[in-house]
Amino acid sequence: MISMLDKIWFPLSLTLRVAAISSILVLCSGVAIAYVFARRDFRGKGLAELFVTLPLVLPPTVIGYILVILVGRNGFLGQIIFNALGTGIMFTWQAAVIAAYTVSLPLMVHTAKAAIEGVDREIEYAAYILGKSELETAMQITIPLAKKGILAGLILSFARAIGEFGATLMLAGNIPGKTNTMSISIYSAFQAGNNELANLLVLILVFMSLLTIALTGRFVGKLEV
Amino acid sequence: MRLGVKVDLKKQYKETEINGKKSTKKAFTSTKKAFTLDISFEMGNELVVLFGPSGSGKTTLFKCISGLTEPDDGKITVESKVYYDKNQKINLPIQKRNLGYVFQNYTLFPHMNVRKNIECGLKGWEKEDKEVRVAEMLDLLHIEELETRYPSQLSGGQKQRVALARALAPKPGILLLDEPFSALDMAIRTRLAEKIKNLQNKIGIPLLFITHNFEEAYLLADRILILYEGNVQQFGTPEEILYHPENRHVADLTGLSNIFDEAKVERCDEESKNIILKSGDMRIKVKSQNLKLGDKVSWGIHPENITLLLPDSGPENHDENVYSAHVNSIISKGPRKRITLKLVRQNKTLIAEVPAQFVDSMKLCAGGLCLVKLETSKVVAFRSL
Repeated sequence: MISMLDKIWFPLSLTLRVAAISSILVLCSGVAIAYVFARRDFRGKGLAELFVTLPLVLPPTVIGYILVILVGRNGFLGQIIFNALGTGIMFTWQAAVIAAYTVSLPLMVHTAKAAIEGVDREIEYAAYILGKSELETAMQITIPLAKKGILAGLILSFARAIGEFGATLMLAGNIPGKTNTMSISIYSAFQAGNNELANLLVLILVFMSLLTIALTGRFVGKLEV
Repeated sequence: MRLGVKVDLKKQYKETEINGKKSTKKAFTSTKKAFTLDISFEMGNELVVLFGPSGSGKTTLFKCISGLTEPDDGKITVESKVYYDKNQKINLPIQKRNLGYVFQNYTLFPHMNVRKNIECGLKGWEKEDKEVRVAEMLDLLHIEELETRYPSQLSGGQKQRVALARALAPKPGILLLDEPFSALDMAIRTRLAEKIKNLQNKIGIPLLFITHNFEEAYLLADRILILYEGNVQQFGTPEEILYHPENRHVADLTGLSNIFDEAKVERCDEESKNIILKSGDMRIKVKSQNLKLGDKVSWGIHPENITLLLPDSGPENHDENVYSAHVNSIISKGPRKRITLKLVRQNKTLIAEVPAQFVDSMKLCAGGLCLVKLETSKVVAFRSL
């Protein structure tokens, strides 16, 4: 029984940790990217938006493959990481964070961008006229007014990070006690014919997803200004 | 000697640019005009109303002054501050212009209460100074009791007063009001207009006010600046605008009906400033400063300024602009009546608006006769375009 609890507890805590860290990163960078997309015009903006959206439609294996090329030992980012840390990042839980971040970022950017575009530009102009810089206006006026959409984006990203499988498998592998997240554990339990464990993990994951949906509805609904 | 406000600017102006978002339907909206805004005027610590039809460039002018858009050419100075100067390559950032701007839609920050909204413009002030200033503003606009409320808990009129308080708190060098009352109902409008008029005396800064409503313009303005298709048509006191319009555009905008074209200056008395116009078969005496003998002019009179006399009160007297007329129809407009008159000998139709009480006591009715007097000082004449 104790080993069963262990087999559930590790994937669950790992999944929550990966999803939480990925979501924090997605929140910070996603809102900034969404603001720039919503409020600035620059050359290559269309291309940049396309690039950010791509993980939404690419097959997970393709995302995983590209990430391996990027952050693997010989990859452009991989070399930087190796030089900085003295160790590679492949097949670690941090790699799972990278995978989760990549697939959930577009959800945040799109939701937050729509929310920011919904903020009346004249309200921002009023802030500029009152002497607030663009950064101050974004932090004190625009983002607080778009918080409903941003929160929705955050919840969606978190849910997506929890369910992440394909890219994680390729980038972080399936190392028991190290990188076996919920989704990956379900896969290996199923492969090993351990239906009891698979059922339990699936039940937990379904429950968590239901919770997310309920939270989205309640939270976002309640946040009317 | 105060420096006042000097504006002299040119800007290519496209109506398709709405709310800062470029319309992508440009190809389908070919009816929208593009023209050059070319405006030049100077003002002191007075209330100037910008008046013109929609699309005449009023809001674009405001955007240029506030720095939300950059003009193509020219110079804008407020007191000693240069906001924009093409030659010296100066384009002061919006944040540094220190101006007050009140938008039509209030633009209060919905997630901040009234106090926080007003404090917004007081960046870098000491805490105590901030508190004193907010209290002053709350008092000035009589909104003390609203201090802790949120914008969603305020009525339209209250919102606009908070917006005014917020705009005035940082002691701006100029206050721009872009149709601040257009979303309010008539009673509140008039009260707020009086409020603004009082404020103007207290705060002593230049005020620029956009409105679509000529009555409001007349009530508020020290001077009115008439804009039409991006150009200044006339800049003068409300009286001047109403009784001495420069041209047809101005006359139309002031609501002048009863306009007759193709008249000519027949006689001109330099001393008394009396001018006789010949308009078809009709001769009419007007007062005007700038018409010359032989000028082709249009003339007209506001319906409210036509005087009706009983038919037996005397003979026609063309020297005094008294003509006999048929009453064609009478329409009631509540406290006033709108009367269509046909001048018997001059073959012209006039529309008059007189108090209902007056019509009743004269026992006027459709089909009857009366005398019409067009007061010399009230007849409007201007050169034809």
